[in-house]
Amino acid sequence: MIRLILSRIGLGLLTLLAVSVVIFVLTQILPGDVASSVLGQSATPETLAAYRHELGLDRPAVVRYFVWLAGVLHGDFGTALTNGQNIIEVLWPRLRNTLFLAGYAALLALPLAVGFGILSAIREGRLTDRLANIVALLAISMPEFFVGYLLILNLSVNHEWFPSLATVGADTPFGERVWAVTLPAVTLTFLVTAHMLRMTRNSVLSTMSTAYVEMAFLKGLSRARVVTRHALPNAAAPIISVIALNLAYLVVGVVVVENVFTYPGVGQYMIDAVTKRDVPVIEACGIVFAAVFITLNTLADVTAIVLNPRLRHPR
Amino acid sequence: MTEDRSHLSARTGLVLDRRDLMTSAAALGLAFGALGGPALAEDAPKKGGTLRLGMEGGSASDSLDPRTYADSVPIDYGYQIFNGMVEIGDNGEAVGELLESWETKPGATEWVFNVRKGITFHSGKTLDADDIVYSLNLHRGDTKSAAKDLLSAISDVKKLGPNQIGITLSTGNADLPYNLSDYHVLVVPNGFTNWAKPDGTGAYALESFEPGVRVLTKNTGHYWKPNRAWYDSVELRYIPDAAARSQALISGQVDAVNRLDPKTVGFLMKSPKVSVVQTKGTGNRFAFVALCDDPSYTSNDARMALKYGIDRQKIIDTVYKGFAQVGNDTTISPASPYFAQNTPPHTYDPDRAASLYKKAGSPKFRLQVSEGAFSGATDAGVLYQEALKKAGIDLEVVRVSGDGYWSNVWLKAPFCAVYWGGRPTVDLQLSQTFISTANWNDTHWRDPAFDKIVTEARVELDDAKRKQMYAEAQHLIADNAGMVCFAVGDYLDGYAKKIRGAKPHPRYDLCDQRVAEKTWFA
Repeated sequence: MIRLILSRIGLGLLTLLAVSVVIFVLTQILPGDVASSVLGQSATPETLAAYRHELGLDRPAVVRYFVWLAGVLHGDFGTALTNGQNIIEVLWPRLRNTLFLAGYAALLALPLAVGFGILSAIREGRLTDRLANIVALLAISMPEFFVGYLLILNLSVNHEWFPSLATVGADTPFGERVWAVTLPAVTLTFLVTAHMLRMTRNSVLSTMSTAYVEMAFLKGLSRARVVTRHALPNAAAPIISVIALNLAYLVVGVVVVENVFTYPGVGQYMIDAVTKRDVPVIEACGIVFAAVFITLNTLADVTAIVLNPRLRHPR
Repeated sequence: MTEDRSHLSARTGLVLDRRDLMTSAAALGLAFGALGGPALAEDAPKKGGTLRLGMEGGSASDSLDPRTYADSVPIDYGYQIFNGMVEIGDNGEAVGELLESWETKPGATEWVFNVRKGITFHSGKTLDADDIVYSLNLHRGDTKSAAKDLLSAISDVKKLGPNQIGITLSTGNADLPYNLSDYHVLVVPNGFTNWAKPDGTGAYALESFEPGVRVLTKNTGHYWKPNRAWYDSVELRYIPDAAARSQALISGQVDAVNRLDPKTVGFLMKSPKVSVVQTKGTGNRFAFVALCDDPSYTSNDARMALKYGIDRQKIIDTVYKGFAQVGNDTTISPASPYFAQNTPPHTYDPDRAASLYKKAGSPKFRLQVSEGAFSGATDAGVLYQEALKKAGIDLEVVRVSGDGYWSNVWLKAPFCAVYWGGRPTVDLQLSQTFISTANWNDTHWRDPAFDKIVTEARVELDDAKRKQMYAEAQHLIADNAGMVCFAVGDYLDGYAKKIRGAKPHPRYDLCDQRVAEKTWFA
């Protein structure tokens, strides 16, 4: 187990390095650079040259990459090219915001998805099952900005229960923060529930036709007990990986929701950096996102092994 | 979001007195409170409160260094923290700010400016001529400043005394004070370099700077301008989404917003909590530009066919929901007193376009549009295509990426979309775009007669004569150059009803981005 985790961490670090190279190459292929993006229409050849020289952009790309990499290996992600702000200092509060929103949405979505998924499996083909599926599919079929605007219209315009702006700062008290982030969290719940719900239901059902489940029924156990005690642990692995995928999505894929609710997360920071070709910021955001993916996937594998004795003792 | 990238600098050169402004507001296109009712009437100003602004026009990469300002949000916090050298008054005239007064000799190459006395920076330092010289030189020589081109005629800046500086120009310019009103030209102490901790003379000092999220400032309590700066503090929030912005205003989460969405402004006007202020025809100039030296557009008949073949009103009604004014193929705003009223408008005339097109030998037209040029460019291009079709002219419309649009498409493509912001003076407006040698001559139109008129008007001190010269210059552009400027945008601001003192301004929206020092709570 420890060996597995260690090898995962090693592979993860290699992946991060590869990601950083890919991002750097991609930013070099994009048209324009930070000087031409900031100066925009008002650029002249002289101001562009002065800007590039000031930022050291007149050095070869390979040199810039390795200077950056050397900094990162010393724990220094550098400063933004556009405004000279320390990237870690700016990124950290935004990452906390992103994780807070993702965590909140996960708290709402996970019990809902897994609970109703299991319930659907127990009552396969009956009204609860049908209803849960229809509602979840409806929710996922609506684009997230539409869900967001609907929630704003109903819960913050027609009834002023929640704020439409989710702008929070470091000094926002916890209660207020929860209140401000509720609408975006509910919007995200709409988005991710269906996938996890259907995966739970279908994985459980697919183990229902196995011999040991039949044996459990023959012992005279109730359907609910068979599903939760015998089918579910064996169905856990695919469910957990889908959950991990959705959790990762909650962290990295929420830029539209951030925009609708004006939430200061990492997504908008990265989009702004890409627009302005601020390479060190793009790299930092990309690495954070990649790290989230790798961590969640590793956690998913480990949890699946812990939950399922057969995977713990491979033959 | 990239719509207003830079050069929001609007025209001035607008010379008219307050009474003119009030009595002929409609004719001038400065409609104040036209949509919002009588809510913003004057009361006696009073102190107190936190002004909460919700704005588009900024990003997480914004900096405090004025040399990099390019959009509304930085301009706004710039004017909270710093002062400019020259301010543009509500009637469009240059008014002394940190440069109190000035004089020049005939020819307008030698200038003397007096530095205002008794002004202190937030750090406690007293303002003197060295600070002004340093702040000007930030934009001169080897610099990344976007204002470099604007001030390129300055050949020398020197200190004449503790409170006096001299500026020498390589070519005369009667409008120098207007150039110095540019939003990049803000004043910092001599030798200042620590932009993360800005030191200005503005009404508000920086408390917290989170670009892309919010900017907090606090009243210093001893601002030098009388009757200004009423709020205890200002919270500027970045709200890039137009729907979120108007929503925040209606629900009272912010007190003022910029760039209301023309599509929904009608609903907003129905809210009892909100006033809408429309400033007509001082916003961005939306245009398509053809290169006069490209084979398809070398014939002036071809260019005129393009000008008569566009249905301007239809684009304005469809794309801008009526919140724009018809442009007449120059970048001079129809609201400017120097606007050439006597140049016949190029109204949509398919028959005329068709015959001009045949005369030109039916060249192939291909237009490149992008939302990176300005928002609505694609829709405008498609409507243009439809209008030309009625004249039997084929226009191929190609949509290109907004990424790198200004470096890869504009100034290079034979026919493409562009916007031009207003400039402080008619001279700048014309000479940066249409003079033969201009850096940004995006039509490659070169006419020595035009160059001569503009150069002469620059040093002409008789306003009536100047007006005539500018009219002639505009006439030449409209009938010869490769620019199809079909619309000039309106500014749409939204204010909470409790805000007082907000007026439309001939330059920018939100009271020339000085909303924090000009308005107060009832």
